[in-house]
Formats: sequence, C-alpha cells, structure tokens
Amino acid sequence: MSAPLLSVTNLSTSFFTSRGEVQAVRGVSFELRAGEILGIVGESGSGKSITCMSIMGLLRSSGRVIDGTALFEGRDLITLDEDELSALRGNDISMIFQDPMTSLNPTLTVGEQVIETILRHRKVSRAEARARAIELFELVRIPSAAKRLRSYPHEFSGGMRQRVMIAIALACDPKLLIADEPTTALDVTIQRQILALLKELQGRLGMAVILITHDLGVIAETADRVLVMYGGMVMEEGPVRELFARPSHPYTRGLLASIPDLRDDTHHRLTPIPGSPPDMLRPPKGCPFAPRCPHAMAQCNAALPPLYDAGEGHRARCWLHHPEAPRVAGITAELVTA
Amino acid sequence: MTAYVVQRMLLMLVTLFAIITLTFFLMHAVPGGPFTSEKILQPEIQAALNAKYHLDDPLWLQYLTYLKGVLSFDLGPSFKYAGMSVNQIIAEGLPVTMKTGALALICVVALGVPLGIVAALNRNRWPDTLVMVIATIGVAVPSYVIATVALYVFALRLGWVPTFGLDDWRGYFLPVFALSGFWISFIARLARSSLLETLQQDYMMTARAKGLRRGTVLFKHGLRNSLIPVVTVLGPVVANLLTGSFVIEQIFALPGIGRHFVLSITNRDYTAIMGITIFYAAVLMVMIFIVDMLYLVLDPRIKYRADAK
Amino acid sequence: MTDTHIAPEMWAPATRDGAAAEYIAAPSLTFWQDVRKRLWANKPAMLGLGFIILLVLAAIFGPLLSRHTYFEQNLKLSNIPPLFQTYEVTDGAGATTRFFFNSGNLNLYEVTPSGEVAGLLRATKKDLIKKQQQFKFGDREVVLDTARQQLSFADGAALAPSGWQWNMSHWLGTDQLGRDVLARQLYGARISLTVAFVATLVNFFIGVFYGGLAGYLGGKADTIMMRVVEVISTIPLTLYVILIMVVFNSGFLSVVLAIGSVYWVDMARIVRGQILTLKQQDYVAAARTMGASTPRILVRHLLPNSVGPILVTLTMLIPSAIFIESFMSFIGLGVTPPEASWGTLTSEAVETLRAYPYQLFFPAAAISLTMFAFNFLGDGLRDALDPRLRT
Repeated sequence: MSAPLLSVTNLSTSFFTSRGEVQAVRGVSFELRAGEILGIVGESGSGKSITCMSIMGLLRSSGRVIDGTALFEGRDLITLDEDELSALRGNDISMIFQDPMTSLNPTLTVGEQVIETILRHRKVSRAEARARAIELFELVRIPSAAKRLRSYPHEFSGGMRQRVMIAIALACDPKLLIADEPTTALDVTIQRQILALLKELQGRLGMAVILITHDLGVIAETADRVLVMYGGMVMEEGPVRELFARPSHPYTRGLLASIPDLRDDTHHRLTPIPGSPPDMLRPPKGCPFAPRCPHAMAQCNAALPPLYDAGEGHRARCWLHHPEAPRVAGITAELVTA
Repeated sequence: MTAYVVQRMLLMLVTLFAIITLTFFLMHAVPGGPFTSEKILQPEIQAALNAKYHLDDPLWLQYLTYLKGVLSFDLGPSFKYAGMSVNQIIAEGLPVTMKTGALALICVVALGVPLGIVAALNRNRWPDTLVMVIATIGVAVPSYVIATVALYVFALRLGWVPTFGLDDWRGYFLPVFALSGFWISFIARLARSSLLETLQQDYMMTARAKGLRRGTVLFKHGLRNSLIPVVTVLGPVVANLLTGSFVIEQIFALPGIGRHFVLSITNRDYTAIMGITIFYAAVLMVMIFIVDMLYLVLDPRIKYRADAK
Repeated sequence: MTDTHIAPEMWAPATRDGAAAEYIAAPSLTFWQDVRKRLWANKPAMLGLGFIILLVLAAIFGPLLSRHTYFEQNLKLSNIPPLFQTYEVTDGAGATTRFFFNSGNLNLYEVTPSGEVAGLLRATKKDLIKKQQQFKFGDREVVLDTARQQLSFADGAALAPSGWQWNMSHWLGTDQLGRDVLARQLYGARISLTVAFVATLVNFFIGVFYGGLAGYLGGKADTIMMRVVEVISTIPLTLYVILIMVVFNSGFLSVVLAIGSVYWVDMARIVRGQILTLKQQDYVAAARTMGASTPRILVRHLLPNSVGPILVTLTMLIPSAIFIESFMSFIGLGVTPPEASWGTLTSEAVETLRAYPYQLFFPAAAISLTMFAFNFLGDGLRDALDPRLRT
C-alpha cells in the first residue's frame, strides 16, 4: 500500500479565550490516500472545521495547535512557517468554504480573484492566467465564462458563486481539496448540482477530497470513507458502506435515526438525539457523548473509551466494544456473531 | 451607473434649492432683515439693495430675483459695507480657507488612515493603546480648546510658530492641526474598527486559503474594503472642516471665509450671512458629489444597486 | 484483546439527573441583565457615568451652596489666581501684613491669615519712568519693580516669598470682571447641561416621532420623508443652528430651540431603521398572527428592541449638543452675558490668554472631561448592547 497523502496524528487544537481554554480538537488522527474522498461528519462545534483549519494553518489568532502532526507528502504542516504554508495553500491544498455569499471579496471581480491565485503560484503571464481562468470557469460550468470574469460576486447567484469558489480552489491543480460544508448555504437543487460537480471533478482530476458536512446524506453519496466527530474527537470511522450498514457507535446510530429515509414507507418516527453538545471549556472526563447516550453506563462517565476495532478498517470509540461490556442490539450484536 | 450619477446630481440641486429658499425666508423673518424696507442703513446700501431686489416688490418676486442672482453666481451687495459685494467678501477669504482646509483634509486622510491601520494590526498591543488614547483625546477635546492650548504653548510660550497670520509658512501648523485634530482621531478610530471588522470577513479567510502573501491579503483584500466607510464620511469631514474654520480662523486671526462669516454674524450683515451660507452649501454639495463618485469606484455593489432600481 | 479488566458494576446504566443532558454551563441572563453586567465591568464607562452624576449634582446644587453669584462683579479683585505666593512684611510696631503679587496686572493684594483676599494695596508713590511703585507698611517701605517684577525693601534687600496660599475667598480665582470663577463654572455647567439635556430631549421626541412615522407608514411616504432627511443632513447642522440663532437672536432659549430643532435627523434615521427591520422580524409577524393590536406590538415588541440603539444615540447626542452650544457661545452666538456657559467661559479666558493663561484651564478641563465622560459612557453602552459581543 502506498504512503498516504495526508496523515494526521493526535491533532489537538485549543482556543485561548478570556473564559479559558476551549479544547476544540482533542487527539484526532486519520489518514487520507491520494484520490480518496474522506467525509467528516458531526454537529456544529464538533471540531470538524477546526481540524481542517489547523491543517491549513488558518486558525484565528486565539487558536493554537497544541499537539500532533499533519504530514502532507512527508512534510509536517503544523511546523511549517507561514511562507512555506502559503506556498502550499491554494496550490497543493485548497479549500472551499460554507457560505459563497461572503467568501468572495465583494469589491474585486471574480476573474481577478481567480487570476491572482494562479499568478501567486504559477510563473505565468497575466494573459495566460486569464486564459486558465476562462478554462476553469468552463470546467465548473459557468456559462459565457470569458464575459463573466469581469463580473462582481454580487452579480452571481449562490450556486454560481460556489462554482467560482471551486474554480479558485482548482486553479493550481491541488492534490487535496478541503470542502467545508460546501453545500450547506445553498438551495437543495443547487446542492445536488454542486455535489455532482465536485464528485465529477474529483474523478476527472484525481485529487483527494476532505468533505466536511453535517449531512450524512451528502456523505453517503460522495465519500469513500467517513470520520464521525463529536466533542472534538473521532467517535467512529470506517468505509462509507460499512459504516452505514453497521453503525458501531450510539452517536452514529443517533445521527442515522434522525434523518428521514425516503425509501422507507413504514412511517418510522424520526428520533432526534436529546440534549446538546458538550461545553468544550470543561469537557467531560469520560465519553463526551455519555450525557446524551441512551446506553450510557457508569464506565462511560468514568473514563474515555479508546477507539475499538470493529473490523474492516472500521473503528468506534465506545465502551460497548469492550469484551466485558454488555451486548447491545444493533451496535455490538454483529460483532458477537462475527 | 449614469442613472446613479443623474440621481445624485438631482438630489444635489434639490438640496441647494432648499438651502437657498430656507435662508432667504429665514433672513426675511429677521426683524430689520435685508428684505424688509423699514430699517436704518447707510443710504448707499439701501439704494444698492433697492436697485438689486426692488424692496417694494412682493416677497415672492424678491425671492425670484434673489434666486436668479444666485444662479448667475451673484450674491448681491453687502448689508453693512457700502460698495462691497458678498462675492468680493468670499473671494477675499477663499484662498486662506481653501489652503488651510485642504491641508487639514490631507492631514486627516494621510494621518488618520495609517494610524487606524497600525492600531488595528497591533490590536491590544501598545501601538493600538497609544493610538486609541490619542484618538480618544482628539475626539473628546473641542477643537477650540486644542487650538487655544496649542496657541499658548507653541506660539506664546515656546515661540516656535507665529501667534497669528499665515505670512510665515510655520503659521499653518497650528490652525491646520487644530482644524484636523478631531477628524484625524475620528478617522483613525473608524479605520481601526473598520479594518478589524474586515479582517473577520470570510473573504479574508478565502484570500489566505488561496495562499496569497500577507501583504496582498492585507492591502488588496483588507484595506480596500475597510476604506469604504472611511470614504463615506469624507463628505461630512469636509463640511465640518468648513464650520470648524469659523472658530479656528477666529482664534488664529486668519482672514478666511470663516472669519468673515462670524464677523458678518456679529455685524448682522444679513446678505453676507445668507450668501456665505449658500456658498458653503454649494461647495459642500460638490464635495459630497465627488465623495459619492469615489465611493462608486471603490464599491461596485453601489453601482449594481443603483442600476437595479 | 489487551483490554484491562473493568469492574462489573461499571457496566451498570449511568445514573443521571434529567436536566444533565440539557445542562448549559454559563448561567443564562436576560438581555438587560447581561447589558448591565457588561456595562458594570466597563471601567471607563462607569467612570464616565460617575463623573456625569457628580457633574449634574454640582450643576444643580453647586450654585446654591456657593458664597458668590455668577454675575456679581468686583473690579477691584479682578483676575485673581486660585493659588499664589504670599509675602509677609512686619513693621516696627509688630503688625504683620500678608500680601501677594499678581504679575498679570502688577497689583499687590492683601491676604488675611486664613487665606482670604482682603483687598487691593494702594501704592503710596508711583514712579512711571523707573517703573517702580512704593508701598508703605507702617514704618517699612517696599518697592515693586514692575519691569523686573521684583519686590524689595527700600534699602535694596530683596523680599522673599513666605509660601504658597490657596485662594480661600475665590477657590478658582476670579475673572477679568472680578467674578468668582467657581460660581461661574458651576453656573456654566448648569447652562451647558440644561441646553444639552433639553435639546437632546427635543431631538429625541422629534426624531422618534418622525422616524417612527416614516418607518411605520413605509412605502411612498417613507421614501419622501427620508429624502427630506437626506437633504437636511447634507448640510452641516452647525450652519442651520447659526441661521436660526441669527433669526432668533442669542440667548439661552434660542440655543435650545436651534439645537433641538436640528439634530433629530440621526435619531429619525435610527428609529426608522429599527422599525423597518423589526417589522420584518418573525416574532412581530407571530405577534400579529396571534392577533396583537398595533399599539400593543409597538409597545411590547418594537420599543424594547429599539431601546438599545436609541439609548446609544442619545448618549452621543448630549456631548454633541454640549459641544455645539459651547461652539456657538465661543463665536458669540450662544448665551448672552452675564450668563455663562462653558463656551463663553472659554472664550472669555481666551481674551486674557496672554496675561492669565491659567484661566483657560477650568472651562477647558470642564468641557473636555464632560466630553470624555459621555464618550466613554456611549462607547460602553454601545459595546454592552452589541449582541455580537455577547458571550
């Protein structure tokens, strides 16, 4: 097996606020191979965006990576200085953000915003960069590309702006694209178009993608592997089919139970997960999900569970996987039969 | 685009018209004002006024005559100085006021904006604190206090600059400083908060995520956007530099329009008060128009909104 | 598996109280509690508020407690400083006279042991050519050299000052007409603050009415009303105030009227903006759907939510009103003598700047400190009311 493109180990990030240290990311590890799509799913505040911002070196001033490494093609992104990082950003690693309405600079033409990225990372003339920008606009299917380069962001719809963002991200043929909730702010029909476009371009250009979302539906359609985050930690990870077929963490099960299944006509009730995410100023000593978990045991509040192997690259952070733990149908039943 | 320009110009004319009308009728309301025929004046002024405005005519006719005069840039005879016209009074003071005003405006932009940027980029560190302390003093202490204290310290005590007049180039220091002090502080505060707000914007994150260099991110993406609110207040700044000159020209004994204006107020030179007010209004309209156009260049969204109407 | 053994009782269901899942760490405060808490924590704002309260109290009660009135003149005791160096001369009969030299007007004033200014000392002889004056204290003679500003005995021995004395009859000295500066300061504060508060109140009512009406009516009426505001606000408001003052003549009432009738445009804009945004808020729509009447919606929903920005604007209006009043008084258009405001006091002090620079200090300090106080309070209020800064 070839070396992974990105290998994150034990990443921990905290924000130092006036009220104290907010532990946004706590010991996250994962690997990403070239050409692979990794979905990171979790509620807002679960640390999924902060994980990626830490890797990109884009944390706001109060945030700091306090531990861990992020090896990208063998270089640790965490220890790179700002110059080295900025040479990588937009070039080898690029990023798309959630809200296309605010992510583009309102006072510059969209063409300029694409062209400046190309000029930053490639030794080309302005005319060549412009030609490349037109090519990119055609690639992301913005109609009459050459003309639209001169438009300002406010002259575009949300979906079109996100296409511009994608064009900027792809400007320098990145090896890794981080898409942070790329469709959350868009209309449902536009969401589908943008996702389809992303998936198609990924297939065509062969880059690796980290897709951050809180929408399991998006993950199911797009990702190869999934990371489920909660309270700044990885709760479960595995190949997408495997994880959806056998969710091995009560939190993942909760997430799956809270989305409607249109193919299902048996009129199941949707079950929301009660409660709200933990306060990361004072994270609980045990499993962060325990206060909301239907299966919580004394042990869950006492200690943090390790990531247990659940087979075929599938791992889950839950005490129920301890060999001495009671068996719970749906989570550990298969494990017993396996 | 053209629609917007036309709209602004129309508004400008309407405002000017409103000002002329308002000042005319206000001055008419003054007991013994210029448009009433019973008063004790030097006969030649009375004659000049009568010749110009036909004081026996009905009021509306006098108004139309005055309006016609203003439109042909003729503000009529002075009410107090025989043989002087308001135009001459303005022409006499204009160079002084223009020079100090322009210098003050340059100071406001050239000092206020950089100070604000330095403060924002060093947020909560000593340069920020220093700038904010100075700016807070500048905003709170009235310009005439700054002017008199500066006059006492630098002119009377230290003798570095002359106490009055502009014959010596050093004579400009104190008036310009006193005139611009408040607005330098105001602009520094505004530029600081505006830049801080801009730095929080999502597109600044995008610019960094694209790998742009620090300088490019800051100057190309940050500054341009954060200067928009600064530009919008430049109109009011010009207006206030004009009114500020009333006091400053008084304190430093500068023969500018502001001093003439205050003098004509104390002398009850009604036609001069009226004429200078209208002149101020016209100057301001033009300045505000220029600022609006500048704004248009800086912020493409305005154009879009105006066209969409 | 290398798992460590875990005691069986740990696998029992976790005990939890019902609220634990919904537990929120920070105690929740109502909006106004939060505002008050944050304002309280803002030191400059609280300092400003404290200063304003003190100032208002001084303006109300100060003139009542003062020994002097703001208009009572004593030309014999004009331009007396608040602090002076005293000299003592003892004559042959053992009687000691204490006096000080006012370098501004070259006079000697007798001082009582308790520090009160007793009166002017008359020179027995004035030599205008040698620029010398002679003063007799019993059998002793003191010569004042007005050119060199020196005091000496008749025999040429220099007279040394005996010490510093605070002026006990006029704590802040007197002005060029011999009026008590402290009394005038207090009275000036009264005028300046009254002008500011009354004018602000007038502005408030006009602004809320005009802006509220425009916002409430909406549509064409709103457009026209706001165009009018736009036209008014393109011209510096100082100009309007000056024109109005010219028409109505100087005086306290005209100042209030002039400032009050002009500065409402900002308030009108803000109120209108608030009403417009709030009209579109879901909770207002919800209240309407549930059948709440218009006055009820205005009082229960719109008003409490608009209070914040209005309060901030008001706090900022007061210092501008103070400033405009002093500005007008400074150029001679404000209150008329012998009435005093900080503007006239400053302008009077400027007249005597060369001889008595310290006279500028009190009015300048008073107005500057007041501006600081209101600015700090306004900034603090704005920060405290800004929902984006809530934690």
